[in-house]
Amino acid sequence: MTTLADLPAGASATVRGVTAEPSLEQRILEMGLLPGVQVKVLRFAPLGDPMEIRVMGYSLSLRRSEAACIEVEAV
Amino acid sequence: MTRPDKHTVALLGNPNTGKSTLFTALTGTRQKVANFPGVTVEAKLGTLTLDDAEVTVIDLPGTYSLAARSPDERIATEALLGRIPGTPRPDGVLIVLDASSLERNLYLATQVLEFGLPAVVALTMVDVAKDRGITVDAHALSRQLGVPVVPVNAPEKQGLSDLRAELHRALHHPGQALAVPFGDEFDEAVTDLHDVVCDLSVKLGFKPARPEALRLLVDGAGPFYDECEQVGGQAFLDEFNKLRQRASGGRSLSMIEAQGRYGLIGRWVKEARKSEDDGRRTKTDRVDALLTHKVWGTLIFVALMLLVFQSIYSWAGPLMDGIELGIGWLGAQVVNAIPEEMETLRSLLADGVFGGVAGVLVFLPQILILFLFIAILEDLGYMSRAAFLMDRLMAPLGLSGRSFIPLLSAFACAIPGIMGTRVIEDRNTRLTTIFLAPFMSCSARLPVYTLFIAAFVPDDGVGPFNLQGLVLFAMYWVGVLFAIPTALVLKRGILKSKITPFLMELPSYKMPRPGAVARVLLERGGSFIKRAGTIIFAVSIIVWALAYFPRDSQVIEKHDAATQALNERHAAKVAMIAKSGGFTDDDPALVAAIADMEELAAVHEESVATAKDEIDDAIELEAALAERSEAFTAALLELKRRHGGAFEPAQEIHTSRAEHEEAVAGIENAKAGELLAGSFLGRAGHAIEPAVRPLGWDWRIGMAAIASFPAREVIIATLGTIFNLGGEQDEESEGLRGVLRNAKDEHGNPLFTLATALSVMVFFALCAQCAATLAVIRRETNSWKWPAASFVYMTTLAYIGALVTYQVASALGA
Repeated sequence: MTTLADLPAGASATVRGVTAEPSLEQRILEMGLLPGVQVKVLRFAPLGDPMEIRVMGYSLSLRRSEAACIEVEAV
Repeated sequence: MTRPDKHTVALLGNPNTGKSTLFTALTGTRQKVANFPGVTVEAKLGTLTLDDAEVTVIDLPGTYSLAARSPDERIATEALLGRIPGTPRPDGVLIVLDASSLERNLYLATQVLEFGLPAVVALTMVDVAKDRGITVDAHALSRQLGVPVVPVNAPEKQGLSDLRAELHRALHHPGQALAVPFGDEFDEAVTDLHDVVCDLSVKLGFKPARPEALRLLVDGAGPFYDECEQVGGQAFLDEFNKLRQRASGGRSLSMIEAQGRYGLIGRWVKEARKSEDDGRRTKTDRVDALLTHKVWGTLIFVALMLLVFQSIYSWAGPLMDGIELGIGWLGAQVVNAIPEEMETLRSLLADGVFGGVAGVLVFLPQILILFLFIAILEDLGYMSRAAFLMDRLMAPLGLSGRSFIPLLSAFACAIPGIMGTRVIEDRNTRLTTIFLAPFMSCSARLPVYTLFIAAFVPDDGVGPFNLQGLVLFAMYWVGVLFAIPTALVLKRGILKSKITPFLMELPSYKMPRPGAVARVLLERGGSFIKRAGTIIFAVSIIVWALAYFPRDSQVIEKHDAATQALNERHAAKVAMIAKSGGFTDDDPALVAAIADMEELAAVHEESVATAKDEIDDAIELEAALAERSEAFTAALLELKRRHGGAFEPAQEIHTSRAEHEEAVAGIENAKAGELLAGSFLGRAGHAIEPAVRPLGWDWRIGMAAIASFPAREVIIATLGTIFNLGGEQDEESEGLRGVLRNAKDEHGNPLFTLATALSVMVFFALCAQCAATLAVIRRETNSWKWPAASFVYMTTLAYIGALVTYQVASALGA
């Protein structure tokens, strides 16, 4: 299973599912990371974490630990 | 006769959508801040006039969703339902939508529209969207949403009159509740749960709305859930769990909600968005590539932080000195206008009132400088990038990148640092950061360290280092060392964040607007003075009174009699000197000679003091002093030539007068010391002596520690007074250092050893002896609970730290 955290900078993917404890899952979904949505990894912070992605037309920063809850399929 | 038509409108939107700018453009300067009980966020209230109608606008904190995970997040729902005491119930809503990220912005809009209040949408950031190739058809969007949509550009004042007209219309028409299709099972469960909670209305004290039932069903947590559980008990829980089961059908309820809303949003946007993001490289992309670059981004960040720290730490210094000098001068003018007999009033004004005012205003330069940076960086969009860069460092402590700048600022002063935590969205992360800020070694501790290090730490080399420098360095780390475990305990325990705080939008870069920056400065400065200033001022007056009363009249009489005797002896001596020179003591020739003599001496003293102040190099200083002494001798000869026979007696009288004045000052200082020892504060020092003995302290240090409750640096003036040097001491005073070194305890042993000095320093590194910090914590957390916890916790740590330091150091023979 590939998660968002496994993608390199520059990669694009489609979200397949979210598996996290309920309030984190809710926050991830509210921010637009739900199944079928396209995401693109823009970059990682200089210390390797967090990462910046583009989703639904805006830039979102999230930690790798959070990105690991998001299952994706690379495109 | 027309009755004034009054309305209330709630302003809602995502963060970074230009909501505040719109609020200011609509309501102008007629704003006030509303604090909500039990939460750390605040809203602004403004007034807008629409023809004959007066509309109160409530600018609610920016949020991505109405999901209520914490009391702070529940506030938007409470405000929409008019359940906040003292805040009117809205009869309309104004929703701000960022055209450049329409979907995510519409998520909140669907939640708000479910409340069924008359609504108008303001479409912002149309130009940012256009830069990316996105165009939004406002009419089409309006048709989809069923509410008016008005494109606005608040900074340019475009679209505002249309928006006002639509708002006016909407307020006079009924609203229509949006029904998002979530599926039959889910919708029925919401309806049933609504019934269940409505049955609890009487016990709850309010009638829950349907959207609240939906939130309750999905969130399954939060303040409303707790209330229902409390009044409904097990019967409610059973029903609740059954309905959740039914609604979910094995899926996650959050997923059903998100897919329902985003599904509807997708259909809306398909009709309303005429062209899509074409993936072109925007300004923001280019700037971001630099500012979050591994090398350049990091360098720029470090340089910026150095600039911020340097400006709070040192550039604020002259301004702070200026404020203290200015208020001190003003105080002296006022006090001098009061007859000397009204000694208590003079002391109250000089030390209590003006001291208190200075104690409040002195923080303004640091607060304003930090907020100047924060306002510009936040407006620019850089604060989120700074958090992005620093998150990795702060995450192990359970904090987020947003905690970095407040904590860094706290090394200059905890006050602006604590006020700066407003940039942290997550409530528990913010509270933890507030709690940690006073642990950072602020500039007010430096005088305490300087005094005790210079007096007691040997100026020896340790390898390539200097021992005094090493001790100072260690003092800066003591606070950090204790802050780390404190953070871990807090974030794992009572302040555990239910959601990971770091899902953060990185907004587009924008040019800061001077007006908005100025407004932030005015607001922060004003709110500090109004809300924290009053507490700081009150504490200053109370501590003044404790140190002033009761005044033992016997002590006063004893010293006044001694002064009187000195005065008489001096007068007799002056008469005798004059007589032996062949003058009466009011002879004009003699009086003129004395006046010249005194003027010369004063000028010489000042020039010596200036030289000592300005010249650091020892050899250069010696040369300069020799030069001045030569000039002085020459001037003396000139005086002698001019005044002839009057010169010798004048010089003698001058010397005698100087000695006399010193003796009188000595008595005054002894009197002040004895009065302080007998004051309530002195008694408190005696009372706590058994407790501070194990720290190596006697009652005098204990008392000085209590007296420094308003501000740590007060300990220096207090020690000056109690050791009979007068209260004008600073950390550079040779006199105070010498007196501390020679101070004896009641057995005649040195009062201060290296161990005692270290124990005092460690205590001051860790204690919460700063009324201003506690007042600001109270102001920022909207509760006395946090400052109380902070004071108790830090004082306990300080006590233990000082105890261990003293016991270990004295065991090692220090």
